[in-house]
Amino acid sequence: MMDLLDLILQPWIFIPLIFPGLTTAFLVLLGIIWAERKIAAKVQMRYGPLYVLKPLGGAIQMIADLLRYLFAEPIIPKDVDKLTFIFAPLILFGLSYLPTIVLPAGPGFTAISSEMSLLILLGLLTLSPVFTMILAWGSNNKFSLIGGLREGYLVTTYEIPLFLSALSMAVLYGTLDITAMVEAQKNVWGIFLNPLAAIVFLVLILISTSKFPFEIAEAESEIVMGPFTEYSGIFYGLVMGASYLKLYVLSLLYALIFLGGWYPLPSFLQNPPFLAGIMVFVKGLVIMFIAIFMRAIYPRYRIDQAIQIGWHKLVPLAILSIFLSLLVVYLGGV
Amino acid sequence: MSEFVETISRSEDGRFLELLIGPQHPASGHMRLVAEVDGDVVVSLRPNLGYVHRSVEKIAEVKKFLQIIPLVERPSLADTTANNLAYVLALERLLGVEPPPRAQYLRTLLAEINRIHSHFYGIGIHGVMIGSSTAFMWAFGDREPLIHLAQELTGARITYSYIIPGGVRRDMPPDFPDKVEKVLRYIERRLEDYDKLYVRNPVVRARLEGVGVLKKEDAIRLGITGPNLRASGVPYDVRKADPYCAYPDIDFNVITREEGDAMARFLVRVGEIRESMKIIRQVLKKMPDGPIFAEKYYKMLPPNLKKYYEETKEVKFPGIFANLRAPAGESVARVEGGRGEVVIYIVSKGGMNPYRFRIVTPSFRNAVLFEHLVRNVRVADIPAIYGSLDYFPPEADR
Repeated sequence: MMDLLDLILQPWIFIPLIFPGLTTAFLVLLGIIWAERKIAAKVQMRYGPLYVLKPLGGAIQMIADLLRYLFAEPIIPKDVDKLTFIFAPLILFGLSYLPTIVLPAGPGFTAISSEMSLLILLGLLTLSPVFTMILAWGSNNKFSLIGGLREGYLVTTYEIPLFLSALSMAVLYGTLDITAMVEAQKNVWGIFLNPLAAIVFLVLILISTSKFPFEIAEAESEIVMGPFTEYSGIFYGLVMGASYLKLYVLSLLYALIFLGGWYPLPSFLQNPPFLAGIMVFVKGLVIMFIAIFMRAIYPRYRIDQAIQIGWHKLVPLAILSIFLSLLVVYLGGV
Repeated sequence: MSEFVETISRSEDGRFLELLIGPQHPASGHMRLVAEVDGDVVVSLRPNLGYVHRSVEKIAEVKKFLQIIPLVERPSLADTTANNLAYVLALERLLGVEPPPRAQYLRTLLAEINRIHSHFYGIGIHGVMIGSSTAFMWAFGDREPLIHLAQELTGARITYSYIIPGGVRRDMPPDFPDKVEKVLRYIERRLEDYDKLYVRNPVVRARLEGVGVLKKEDAIRLGITGPNLRASGVPYDVRKADPYCAYPDIDFNVITREEGDAMARFLVRVGEIRESMKIIRQVLKKMPDGPIFAEKYYKMLPPNLKKYYEETKEVKFPGIFANLRAPAGESVARVEGGRGEVVIYIVSKGGMNPYRFRIVTPSFRNAVLFEHLVRNVRVADIPAIYGSLDYFPPEADR
């Protein structure tokens, strides 16, 4: 029994399977969608999910929804490209979850310790939109096609400033290793050293995970469900879950590189890394709540306006943030 | 892989894509929009109407005059009082009946309550079309107190059938003015919230300003009425141009804006909600005492219904009214509804049903306007413009 526990607590098992990997990701998926619906309902003078486990305010509504997705018939239209239609959602979901393996759960507690872990994570993040476009094309539906094209335009918009603003933090800390970046924030958090990059990155989280006001690729009143129009049953559950998983990964990354990771936890509590992991998780939750709260405030931008915001505002600001980092390094560093 | 069939149709040179938006679409309403798009730009859009045609005009020819009252309300569910009122005004002109002053004021009261909740309906739908679910929920929630008021007054939530030839069906309950004041204060407070969250929201501004601009001369040429016309700077309002009911005694402004874009149409509606509240307050203050039912018809009531009327102030028609005959002739009435001018035209040959019945609703004019405005705009502008017109397909189809 103890052997098994020891095995699970090995970082190369614990990280992909427990935190921040599969188990936590799954719970977050259930919790965050419920929270999104509940928060929006609060603002909008409604109850939101209520009747599934009433004492807890319908907290397990998403489990009921998941069961419904599982048992609903996944309709595969006659004219779709079956191979891409079935496999693209699976790969999309898998790729959205994959970047969690490079996230550290505590000091030195990593599944893959690499000096390039930030680059690996950013690289893995860029893969999933490709599959959104592939499944949009394979759906053989005009609304899917337009949605896929919109997704493609948005990728070109957010990817460059996302990389630039994340790399500006690498410039600031002088490393590409996420664990080392957290260690560099022992005294001052990154958000205070380079607030410009922090703001740009937060907006880019909204764009890249298709949250309001940038929920453009799935704009319901324009193109039904965008790339996912033809999907039903568990495939729909997968494609919808993918964007929330991406939000989860990006929020944890934000917590690690801008919000000090496991600091201000004193070093004697950091090992074993349970408290450190909880610290990172709570900070990530705050970012996720900010992202989902936007639904209650903003309508959505038009695609041309979003692209304009990306190229005219966010790219210059991201470049500026690199210079800001260089200035901070020049003035004394971290 | 082998069965991949290209079903995406294109124009002959392969440049344009034909999008069929609706009738099974989250934001098409009960109609189909045939849009031709060039990338993200809409080249042309044809609204394909008729999915909810109910043949009101033809059915009216076989219905008795009183039965037509609920019939005309059906096409425009958010704005039933305007149709009800326009029909009864036309019928009264034919019959030569003049309702007593208190009934006139009660009609005005209900018409304005209905105008406010009709505008909230339009604002809510517009909100969700550009992606603001909050505006949708708020507007539909804030519509509810007004519907409750109307229910208090008439006994029904939406289809009131309150206005009858010669007066109104029921008198106002004694505590009604207090309840109205409470609701109006609530709505005033809520309008501040809308202002903060929705009207001054940068994303809303970006989506609506300069989108779907309707020029003044085009608005006149296309025969547009109601808030959509006034948002293009034409101060035309039937309540001023051809006053009816209690409107000649009431002091109110016609809200106009010069921009003519989607934002202006939205803001005109918000302005009209404020004006309607002003009208309701004046109506309640000036409400005269007296009967709510024309003397001519009161005399025809049998003794037991006369007694019922005196006790409860509710009018119950005896069976004899079902055979109401209108003298031969023609009459026309127009009324300013929430969405624009409602015109009803009746031709009678002296029988128990109209010989010809014609109803012109504002939404049909807006269908023409919709096609006119959605040209060389973005795909995302289709719902933004659609919602701003407060266009209601059943009302256009009739």
